[in-house]
Amino acid sequence: MDIHEYQAKKILSSNGIKIPKGRIAYTPAEARKVAKEVSARGPWVLKAQIHSGARRLGRFIDAKAGVSGGIRIIDSLKDIYSNAEEMLGSTLVTSQTSPKGKLVSRIYVEAFNKVSHTFYVGMAIDRTNSSIVLLAANTKDEDIADIVANRPDKILRIPIDLNGPTHSQTSQLTNFLKLQNKSAESFHKFIRGMFKTFVSNDALMIEINPAGVLKNNEIVALDAKIRIDNRGLSRHPELECLRDDYEIEERELKALKYGFAYSEYDGNIGCIVNGSGLALAMVDTLKQGDNAIACSLNVKGSVDRDKIAAGIKLIATNPKVEGIIIYILGGFLRCDLIADGIIDAAAEVGMNIPLVVRFEGTNRDDAENILEQAKLPLIMADNMEDAVSKIVKAVEENE
Amino acid sequence: MSILADKNTKVLVQGITGTQASFHVKRSIDYGTNVVAGVTPGKGGIIHLGVPVFDSVKEAVVTTGAEATVLFVPARSVKSAVRESVEAGLKLIVCISDSVPVKDMLEVKNILKGSDIKFVGPNTPGIITPDEARLGIFPENIHNKGRIGIVSRSSTLTYEAVLETRRSGEGQSTVVGLGDDMVIGINFVDTLKLFHDDKDTEAVIMVGQMGGMFEEQGAEWYAQQKNKKPIISFIAGNNLTFRRHVGYAGDIITRGRITAEDKRKIMTDAGIVVVDSINQIHEELKNLIK
Repeated sequence: MDIHEYQAKKILSSNGIKIPKGRIAYTPAEARKVAKEVSARGPWVLKAQIHSGARRLGRFIDAKAGVSGGIRIIDSLKDIYSNAEEMLGSTLVTSQTSPKGKLVSRIYVEAFNKVSHTFYVGMAIDRTNSSIVLLAANTKDEDIADIVANRPDKILRIPIDLNGPTHSQTSQLTNFLKLQNKSAESFHKFIRGMFKTFVSNDALMIEINPAGVLKNNEIVALDAKIRIDNRGLSRHPELECLRDDYEIEERELKALKYGFAYSEYDGNIGCIVNGSGLALAMVDTLKQGDNAIACSLNVKGSVDRDKIAAGIKLIATNPKVEGIIIYILGGFLRCDLIADGIIDAAAEVGMNIPLVVRFEGTNRDDAENILEQAKLPLIMADNMEDAVSKIVKAVEENE
Repeated sequence: MSILADKNTKVLVQGITGTQASFHVKRSIDYGTNVVAGVTPGKGGIIHLGVPVFDSVKEAVVTTGAEATVLFVPARSVKSAVRESVEAGLKLIVCISDSVPVKDMLEVKNILKGSDIKFVGPNTPGIITPDEARLGIFPENIHNKGRIGIVSRSSTLTYEAVLETRRSGEGQSTVVGLGDDMVIGINFVDTLKLFHDDKDTEAVIMVGQMGGMFEEQGAEWYAQQKNKKPIISFIAGNNLTFRRHVGYAGDIITRGRITAEDKRKIMTDAGIVVVDSINQIHEELKNLIK
């Protein structure tokens, strides 16, 4: 689960990390009011709160929002109102969002902090080495996105264990980032605060991009992103309430309510599978001719007939879908439940597009009997390639 | 022979009295798995599925000589269940439990550090040696004994790989699900080593997927081996157009964005046969082993 910048900053601040003074605003008038509260005079920074980085270089889709990006430095109080008015209710597209962008419904108003030196610091899980890894790069001359793409060697990576970064690891970072001795103590505190935030909140990623050095040599977090492990959320009720459903696509959100994973792509075939690997393999196999996957639904966890029917309806009612493959290798999951779900969904929304089905494993024969008796116009398949070639043919004939 | 578990392996089940555990353990026992004990704290003394249940792993091990354990415990209890089985001296831990928090798995890795204990999972279908032992939740009826080892990160694709061995007229020596959580126990390298040391395994199917660099690690190890058994691999997500995500950390850790082509090249260079579709495996198997 991702959380917003202002929420992340609040958590980091409670763990000893210095952040600029800031407040959240939902209306232009509120933005002007809180600007006065955070600083008597400008400049201020207006920051669109969406789950995405690269907001400064992002662009709004709406004409009313003007040509400036999602992070704006504003000198005068009167411009706060007009800029907030432009940003709020507009849709921001960045290199980290889909081309559809994300609606900005709140902005963070901060006092502008002048810094002499900026750098990127991240903490994340390195799956290959099963450890937390600390990442850092100087960003004074180059944006982190460019460093990642062109100069990955300019990034320091230090694996850290659950006791946290050692003193010598933090010193190694201090040297790598060419921080002055005067900032060393503040930097140590900063890294400790990041680590504490990471482990005490079941975080999977924290990124501070950029951090900067203030005139008094203190380190300040100018931006912040935190991703929380959904599986750890049950022990953090205070974080659960930071979930922002508006950040999730509508169909994906509906699927989540049933405990399923839904993903959307650019093609014309909808797939219902059990297992994320199966969904990926389906993407690969479907990449044939003019056909490709439109969306996939991974039915997992504790399922029942109603949930399955609801899931199938999500796929069947997606306007891009011209044909559906249902591909179930039942282990935990019983194939007959899926068959019941297909019948219920077909009864409700109709099935006037081709449907290819493959069952294997638990209760396969029962499932096939159920479908046979329902006399739905189904095509049965034997394996993944077979299912794909059958759906491709059926879609062509249906046109 | 086989790897990790066979008909003689004395198996313990932690969380044996749960609904899912009961369903699957019964199937495992019917399959011939040598299940000697169960553990559910507070239920010690009862007999469940014909198996004695103990309050603690230590008690179960001392009494029955159990060598391996299968975890069907709730996600939040995995950490303590592992600690208990490590202290009792068990050398194989198969963690079927899913939704284990990443932080807990990091702690599990700390507990296992420096030991020769094999931890499989979490969120895995487990291990099956056909006609001998089923430690997990595999649909056992699709398996048949043979000479192909299978190791996979994806549960459901494991089943597809099993069906591919059957299509080529082969069977499986042992099938191992690694799980595809962020932090897992044994990986491709560990499993490929075991298959190479197993005289009953003639070739290996390796099912990988995008995310992490476990496949590259496996390929690097394989490239250095003198006596190579044939490996056929399918990597799920080859054609996945890049999905946008928040932040840079993922790309930094892998030193730039890894494409399926990069993965494929490293594996092919190491001598692994990489197929485009999982349903091509049976043909390659026929080509590779006569």
